[in-house]
Amino acid sequence: MSEAAAIAAPARARVRSGAWLAPAMIVLCSLAAYCVAAAATHQTGQISVDGFVGLIQRTVALGIVALGQTLAILVGSIDLSVATLVSVGAVMASWMMQGQPDMMVPASLFVLALSALVGVANGLIVTQLRVNPLIATLGVGLVLQGILSASFQDFAGSVPKEFQIFAYGTVGPVTLSILLMFALALVEWLALSRTRFGAHVYATGGNPEGARLAGIKTARVVVLAHMLCSLAAGLTGLYLASRLRSGAPWVGRDGVYDLESIAVVVIGGTVLAGGKGGVWGTMSGVILFGCLDAIFTMAGVDAFIKQVLRGAIVVAAVAAYAYRTKGHVA
Amino acid sequence: MGAGLSMAEAAPRFEMRGIRRTFPGVVALDDVSFSCAAGEVHALCGENGAGKSTLIKVLGGVHQPDAGTILLDGKPVRLNHPLEARRHGISIIHQELSLLPERSVADNIYVGREPGRLGLLDRAAMRAGAETWLRRFGCRFGADAVAGSLSIAEQQVVEIAKALVFNARILVMDEPTAALDETETERLLALVRQLRAEGVAIVFISHRMRHLFAVADTITVLKDGKLVGTRPRGATSPEEIVRMMVGRELKDYYPARRARAPGAPVLTVAGGGNEWIEGIGFELYPGEIVAVAGLEGSGKAALGRAIFGAAPFSRGQMVVGGQAVRPNTPLDAIRLGIGYVSDDRKAEGLALRQSVLENALLAMRGIAAIFSRPGRTAPRGRGIDQLLREVDVRAAGYDQQIRLLSGGNQQKTVLARWLALAPRILVCAEPTRGIDVAAKAAIYRLLRAYADSGKAVLTITSDLPEAIGIADRLLVMHEGRLAGELPAGATEEDVVALAAGHQFEAAPA
Ligand SMILES: Nc1ncnc2c1ncn2[C@@H]1O[C@H](COP(=O)(O)OP(=O)(O)OP(=O)(O)O)[C@@H](O)[C@H]1O
Ligand SMILES: [Mg+2]
Repeated sequence: MSEAAAIAAPARARVRSGAWLAPAMIVLCSLAAYCVAAAATHQTGQISVDGFVGLIQRTVALGIVALGQTLAILVGSIDLSVATLVSVGAVMASWMMQGQPDMMVPASLFVLALSALVGVANGLIVTQLRVNPLIATLGVGLVLQGILSASFQDFAGSVPKEFQIFAYGTVGPVTLSILLMFALALVEWLALSRTRFGAHVYATGGNPEGARLAGIKTARVVVLAHMLCSLAAGLTGLYLASRLRSGAPWVGRDGVYDLESIAVVVIGGTVLAGGKGGVWGTMSGVILFGCLDAIFTMAGVDAFIKQVLRGAIVVAAVAAYAYRTKGHVA
Repeated sequence: MGAGLSMAEAAPRFEMRGIRRTFPGVVALDDVSFSCAAGEVHALCGENGAGKSTLIKVLGGVHQPDAGTILLDGKPVRLNHPLEARRHGISIIHQELSLLPERSVADNIYVGREPGRLGLLDRAAMRAGAETWLRRFGCRFGADAVAGSLSIAEQQVVEIAKALVFNARILVMDEPTAALDETETERLLALVRQLRAEGVAIVFISHRMRHLFAVADTITVLKDGKLVGTRPRGATSPEEIVRMMVGRELKDYYPARRARAPGAPVLTVAGGGNEWIEGIGFELYPGEIVAVAGLEGSGKAALGRAIFGAAPFSRGQMVVGGQAVRPNTPLDAIRLGIGYVSDDRKAEGLALRQSVLENALLAMRGIAAIFSRPGRTAPRGRGIDQLLREVDVRAAGYDQQIRLLSGGNQQKTVLARWLALAPRILVCAEPTRGIDVAAKAAIYRLLRAYADSGKAVLTITSDLPEAIGIADRLLVMHEGRLAGELPAGATEEDVVALAAGHQFEAAPA
């Protein structure tokens, strides 16, 4: 709580507003920078429907993981096992399919069920054993990675052509996977803002003890959030298998989905302590990272500088939010 | 009262029998029995740490008893989660505010019982329902306001609305009036009487005898986790209740004032103003206690924060010890020798997971760290133990985490912290909020002794008798301005007239 606000005269009580403003600004600025960079490097071909679709396409994997991470963070937890779970999903999918179309459905269902199970395990370790979520999910991630690396050394199996529709299929100029990401974002936004579950997510993250006193089964909310977060990671695994035509045990780690998903969630204005934030902020963070990647690729700049800039943006974003609300620090 | 003969014969709405509850190192409740009938207001009193909150948390399913049974309408029940208590129609206003600071008032009021179908929220109903309750309390904020931006009193009203929106059969209020001013308290007491007439069983916890005797039908006293006794209101008196709570007669409640040698003022404010207050001018002399009174929203809290630099003056002059100063941050103020006991101990006063001792040392470390690193073994560290004993902080040990202490004992720790720092000007916002009578008397004595040692004390309080009882002078605020100054010995009527801005005279007959 802001110090000054605590004594504010009643008429000055702050009303929540402009939840759209910051995300919209971030998206607009990112896209503007992208256009400027394309023009400056004489790659104006990138400023086209295809160019933009390509830009968004490269963010789909991070986007879906981050949508899940948003839930975990909103309830006051966090999930560091997502990157490994992406690898597990990709490897298990292609290994089970072995190029056979009739294994598509069973393999996908298996991956999703396994992810849900991992999520429930994460949630139970956090709520029942009361292990700090950073440690709990880091541990689960390490265990999974260990098993995976011991069992698979390289790309395992392959996915049938039909399964590649998931990543490459199009509706008009847009790909199915982009539509899927935005559909998921929309559903999650509705769930968070219009349903009782959403209200309980914000309550649990905002004040766990208060939520419990209000009769909310907070442990259940946390477990559910972790389950959905892991499901998103599993789904991303399926997407990567479809896109790469096979899965390898390092695809998740290479994408740095754990830290990057946390970074974009935070850039989007969701508070690490939980209870404040939302889906569109996260999506704007995803688009920002996507544009940044594209800009650096167009400019042909060293990847190290890119990392430095990303890091600076994360810190600057958090500082900006903290300054705006004069109190809460992510 | 209220309950007719036929009701008295029926089983009480709830009955707790032989409840025992222990925490590591403390027996918080020992063989306590307590009951309340439909249409009865049952007050619960006792010193800080007597076990009042623990008892109602057992009733609310927050804590499970080690022994004993709970009967609802004569039938034994087990309450393993607050949700189960809620399902039985038990609604509780907890002592510690438990709002979601980032959510709207409507979201907060309906948290955990959001209206709607198939899991979908009915936001319109939430807003409308919240507005209804806010109007009933004459609130000046809307259902869309962010809870964290409200004052403590306003947050308290939200907590009350939260407990009332669902038609409770049993309503428990743990110090609901602690943060409210007289007008709001009157509204709440009127509401309590109305609910009693509707047949709700009500438990009312308060340290203010006046409020207790204004509504209670029955009064039960706890001491050190044990039941001392239960009395019908008509058959007892505030003096007897205090005796039962404290275990002895309480004499010299307010310490005697001493004639003070007039000297130079230690603090002068002239034409001070900021966003919330305007045209503030007064002087504060060493050796005196000045109380600032006023209704909620009158700016009395803002005045304290302005002096402490938490929400600084943007206009006017401030002179401390003969030097013109402008503290823009609390640290500036602390360096000038100004201390501040916050009225919102949870949000800014305490580091909840740290020990009592760490908390008491906090402010001292804040400035001392510039010069050195005082450990707990530093000479002043021993002084702290002494002070904690003097303000009578009751904990299993001073190493205990502060969030596990009873509400009143947390407040005493904050006070000890500032006394240890020995600032020449001590500003106290609601220094005795939630503190029991005996400890209040001790704090009054401490503040008086502090003033007698040549320091100046400015207390900001919603408790009128307290303001009149301890102050050498009273400043009364109304709508952000100083409405007037009253000498010691002013009556409550004088203060109320000033605080209300003489509305009676202006209104046509
Ligand atoms: N969760 C807890 N863990 C350990 N001790 C606790 C806990 N809750 C309460 N206690 C202890 O139990 C005792 C009773 O506390 P309780 O909060 O019921 O007092 P109270 O009568 O409500 O006091 P107050 O008037 O200050 O609110 C205190 O000694 C307190 O320190
Ligand atoms: Mg209490």
